[in-house]
Amino acid sequence: MATEHANTEEKSGYKYLGADRKRVEDPRLLVGRGGYIADLKLPGMLHAAILRSPVPHARIRSVDATEALKLPGVVAVVTGEDCKAKMNPCMNFGPASIAQYPLAVDKVRYVGEAVAAVVAESRYIAEDAVELLEVDFEDLPPVTDPMAAMEPGSALLHEEHGSNIGYERTFEFGDVNAAFSQADFVVEDTLHWGRSAGMPMETSGAVAHPGLNGVLEIYCNSLNFSYFSFLIASALKLPSNKLTMKPVPAGGSFGSKFTAHKVPTLTGFLALQVGRPVSYIEDRIDHLMNSDHHASDRYYDARMGFRDDGTIVGLDIDVVDDYGAYMQFGVGTHGNAFSQIVGPYRFRDVKYHVRAVLTNKCQQGAYRGFGSEVHNWVLERLVDKAARRLGLAPEEIRRRNFIQPDQFPYKIPGGNVYDSGNYPAVLDKALSMIDLDKWRDEQKRLREEEGRYIGIGLATTQERSVFSATEFWALMDNPAFPLTSSPESATVTIDPTGEFQLLLHCQSMWGNSPETVGATVLAEEFGIAPESVNIRYADSAHALPGTGPGGSRYTVMLAGAVRGAARKLQKKLIDIAAHTLEVAAEDLELVDARVQVKGAPERSLTLAELAGTAYFFALNLPEGMTSGLEESYTYDHPYTTLPSPDRSDLGVFYPIMGHACHIAVLEVDPDTGILSFLDYVAVHDAGTIVNPKSLGGHVTGGAAQGLGSTLYEELAYDEDGQFKSSTFMDYLIPTANEVPAFRMAHVETPSPFTEYGIKGGGEGGRMVTPSVVSAAIDDALRDFGMRVRELPVKPSEIVATVQAGRAAAGSA
Amino acid sequence: MTTSTGSKYGTGQRTVTVRVNGRDVTREVSTRTTLADFLRDDLDLVSVHLGCEHGVCGCCTILLDGHSVRSCLMLAVQADGHAVETVESLSGNPAELHPIQESFAEEQGLQCGFCTPAMVLRTKEIIETGRELTDAEVRHEISGILCRCTGYQNIVNAVQSASAKLRCGAAGAGCGAAATDDSTGGRH
Amino acid sequence: MKPPAFTYCDPDSVDEAVALKNEYGIDSLVLAGGQSLLPMLNIRLARPEALIDINRISDLQKIERWSDVLEIGAGVRQYQLEDHPLVQELVPLLPQAVKFIGHIENRHRGTVGGSIAHADSAAELPCTAVALDATLVVRGPSGSRTIAARDFFQGWMTTALEPEEVLVAVRYPVMPWTAGHGFVEVARREGDFALAGAAAVVNLGEDGRIASLAVSAASISDTPVRATAVEQALAGELPTKENIARAAKEIVPSVTSGDDMHATRAYRQHLATVVVQRAITAAVARAHERSNAQ
Repeated sequence: MATEHANTEEKSGYKYLGADRKRVEDPRLLVGRGGYIADLKLPGMLHAAILRSPVPHARIRSVDATEALKLPGVVAVVTGEDCKAKMNPCMNFGPASIAQYPLAVDKVRYVGEAVAAVVAESRYIAEDAVELLEVDFEDLPPVTDPMAAMEPGSALLHEEHGSNIGYERTFEFGDVNAAFSQADFVVEDTLHWGRSAGMPMETSGAVAHPGLNGVLEIYCNSLNFSYFSFLIASALKLPSNKLTMKPVPAGGSFGSKFTAHKVPTLTGFLALQVGRPVSYIEDRIDHLMNSDHHASDRYYDARMGFRDDGTIVGLDIDVVDDYGAYMQFGVGTHGNAFSQIVGPYRFRDVKYHVRAVLTNKCQQGAYRGFGSEVHNWVLERLVDKAARRLGLAPEEIRRRNFIQPDQFPYKIPGGNVYDSGNYPAVLDKALSMIDLDKWRDEQKRLREEEGRYIGIGLATTQERSVFSATEFWALMDNPAFPLTSSPESATVTIDPTGEFQLLLHCQSMWGNSPETVGATVLAEEFGIAPESVNIRYADSAHALPGTGPGGSRYTVMLAGAVRGAARKLQKKLIDIAAHTLEVAAEDLELVDARVQVKGAPERSLTLAELAGTAYFFALNLPEGMTSGLEESYTYDHPYTTLPSPDRSDLGVFYPIMGHACHIAVLEVDPDTGILSFLDYVAVHDAGTIVNPKSLGGHVTGGAAQGLGSTLYEELAYDEDGQFKSSTFMDYLIPTANEVPAFRMAHVETPSPFTEYGIKGGGEGGRMVTPSVVSAAIDDALRDFGMRVRELPVKPSEIVATVQAGRAAAGSA
Repeated sequence: MTTSTGSKYGTGQRTVTVRVNGRDVTREVSTRTTLADFLRDDLDLVSVHLGCEHGVCGCCTILLDGHSVRSCLMLAVQADGHAVETVESLSGNPAELHPIQESFAEEQGLQCGFCTPAMVLRTKEIIETGRELTDAEVRHEISGILCRCTGYQNIVNAVQSASAKLRCGAAGAGCGAAATDDSTGGRH
Repeated sequence: MKPPAFTYCDPDSVDEAVALKNEYGIDSLVLAGGQSLLPMLNIRLARPEALIDINRISDLQKIERWSDVLEIGAGVRQYQLEDHPLVQELVPLLPQAVKFIGHIENRHRGTVGGSIAHADSAAELPCTAVALDATLVVRGPSGSRTIAARDFFQGWMTTALEPEEVLVAVRYPVMPWTAGHGFVEVARREGDFALAGAAAVVNLGEDGRIASLAVSAASISDTPVRATAVEQALAGELPTKENIARAAKEIVPSVTSGDDMHATRAYRQHLATVVVQRAITAAVARAHERSNAQ
């Protein structure tokens, strides 16, 4: 499992950045003390369980809680009527006419939607009481097919909205018709990307505690609450200074806890109703059916124009997105597609027609890739189809279309900018790690001599990172709140003995390594041991501006914030040393936890000596300097611009651009449809690497999830709107058996826009696996006319194609 | 009138004595309480994580009389008279990790930490069989526990590293590299 | 996701378990390894008035040979079959099949009797019991009786067990040393419920022809299916690749499962022939090994 490094630029001589170091988060996790939400127990705490709708679409005539309330230990039953009377709708980045409450108001709109909550002395009793609730539903026609949902006469999910089309718009950058008229041929395809979700091992949960001074405290494992806690306060009709969100580490998110609004909002509401601490932890069925969101579920008609030499001339996409019952997150997942709409390729003309359709299913939102992984799959499917037609190898058609290293920064159609990259270097590195000629010979030999079918897939992806807030609204004509800030903050304290504290201003721990990143940057800046840094998280009452992790932004943004605070502290330390040593500040340098005279390192002061002075000897400080050694820094997005009013240009909103190339060799058993991997190579460029082993872990973790979306995972509803995937017996997450061993390497093309040149690298694995595995399956079974057009690809579909292919060959 | 056999069994509480991480503990427990909830709520062994509560994810895996089992699929009363080990039996002190935990740290065989106690316990059980495993065999042996973060590769490395380390410690010799990397793990 | 309240009974004898079953009847459920029952309780798909936990009954945990029969107590844990010398020697199909049951954590707890009484048609132990012509020993208020495995599985998770009866043991006829066996299963992921599975036991005559053959299939119908049509098609035949492939197709009419989210009916029909063919092929190969070794 080798990991190699191939720097495209000279290594910058960092001492801590770029080294395989142990994570500072891990010791407590390894002894089982991760501090997860379910581990939190407050005195007098009650437990909530919810009644989930068994029907997809119905009016709620009544909820009868009489029997439930008689059960000893039951404290309260709360319904949508209570929400309607005492709450505002939940935060919403979609149309205002599509309101959502944490418990269904008037109507249920999907199987699993929360109808009522029971608060009781224990979760066991709460579940007993849920069984005693009687709900009178008036069934309405289920709307499950997004195409039928758009037809006039379809039942409406939201009468106030007047249509089941939540959002529709056509974007055109350049002139696609003109480009296609220059094409030698156009490939087209009808594709469906099925619904999956981040599905962390830990569900979402919250504990809410009404405090004595009228402040509601909500502990929860949401990652981004520091950005929007005022919106939860607004939903609860509380002044924002009467709600404090308390950060709790998350047992995985992958987008699913990006906002986590339903759980903390509901839990806060329940606590306010009963005046006692309440814990609500989703069980797995809650999470599968009624989590904050599932992920993309898209139907594409896609066309791509080519010249005979393989050059791409344009892309025309018509996508219907089966959004589900609410649109809380707007159409940000399509914004992600626009951030890298041409992939790593040079073509200039793009048309994109999108319709987000409301159906009786759980709403959609973030999942690692945030929609760009879906777009990449479509792009790569089309490129592969053209390559097959032209008889070009997959690496060759890509190479002919790559944006070249000397073209950066590169503005793509639609307005986003790619900061830097070296796509040929990544491809070359991947090709150098595997003998494709040998595998192609072996493929031929096995097919002819043994009737065995192996396939080779190669695909690339862009990996946009560090989103800007303009992405939330840039696709809307009249956004209610066109914000432009997405900052991150850090506070660094050197205590009187010279020890370091780092305060993070959001809940950022979900399995990524915020503490390791922060400590590594401090180590780099001060020459201290990373594991010596103590790291804390601010609650929303104490937090400086922060946005939280998401869109592979946190490592870049945190490094920027910590380095900013470090620079302020470094200046203060040097000023104190200059004053103490009576040397000019410019003659001093900070090396290995000491400030020393350049060229005379024996004249130096340790950080502890300087800290002692800073805290306790004000009279020894330079004129005008105040005591203490604590600095905060708020790092704003390094590079973002506004969209144009007519949206012919969406602005720069996702400019820190990574890249990856994967090559997979797999065997398909044509009689069972079961796959096995023979080799898998993954090369990523995430700019300057902070910790290669951590980055590698994100690549393999993301790739495993991509494999899940490609082959196993499916949040399925039947035609009647019943949910088919309500347990882990049906929602199939890959085990260690299904995930191949990856051979990895990294190319490092630093970003010119970020501190140290770091790029985000958390999502790329999932963004490329679907493309590469689809390609390899097609390649293995090309004799049978296999073409993957729908994910997940199931064994039954593979076998059906093989059988049809054999029948056609037999009758030919 | 016949006497009911069932009348001697109540619906309510039972007193159980369980040997937990080497010490006998006696508690009153509701007969419907799962072993997982008993360990978490009554004994504060919160390393036992509830990921699905229907026996698939494996995050609540513990060792019962030395064998890995799902603690969400047992009642606490069923553990009466048995021995339970949780990850705290290796080390509950972040500053003094057991060699298996140390290997997971070195190889970064974890990210969010939610499946980690289960993976560490399963690793202990695997190592105690004394068999030297290929990477593909390790994948098979840990396949009863889902990890959503790592894609398993660093976990496989951690198991191999811990295995080599502990074999060395036991045998004192012949401790070269871990079992060879056969690098063709996945089966689909 | 927590179990509902129930009366918890943990008898230490079969007689007491039977008395409890007699008292509570269909309102009670027997708790063996709990690998299927506990999920159903946690999800509240099952709400028994009484739960009769048989894990403390030591009489159910024996593995014993009686002349040409291997008797395995209902309470024997599945993992114990994997490397038990008597099982490996006398009924080698079992250790092979058992490894397909869930994951090791499930097999550490799951029992032989629990899987058979649960009667999931996708499960390995019901399927092998049918192929091996096992006999199930059950105890009721009026004493013991035996039921042939082929008669035991009556429908979707429905068996010939009466409400007041308890399954106490499974008797497997000892396989001849020269017999060959095969067990093949295909699942979405390793450890998942089978999309289709098949067990085969073959005895070859001195002429190399098939002297006897037993084949059963899992996950193609409401119950495990004894593939008599396949067996008949190969009776007295040479076990050539072509003959086996032709005979395996005889399983298709037995495939009655409809479409579900993991497999279409057409796929299951095809897959059933594939696993039957592969199980027989493996059994024949092993029979050849055995006769060559003699």
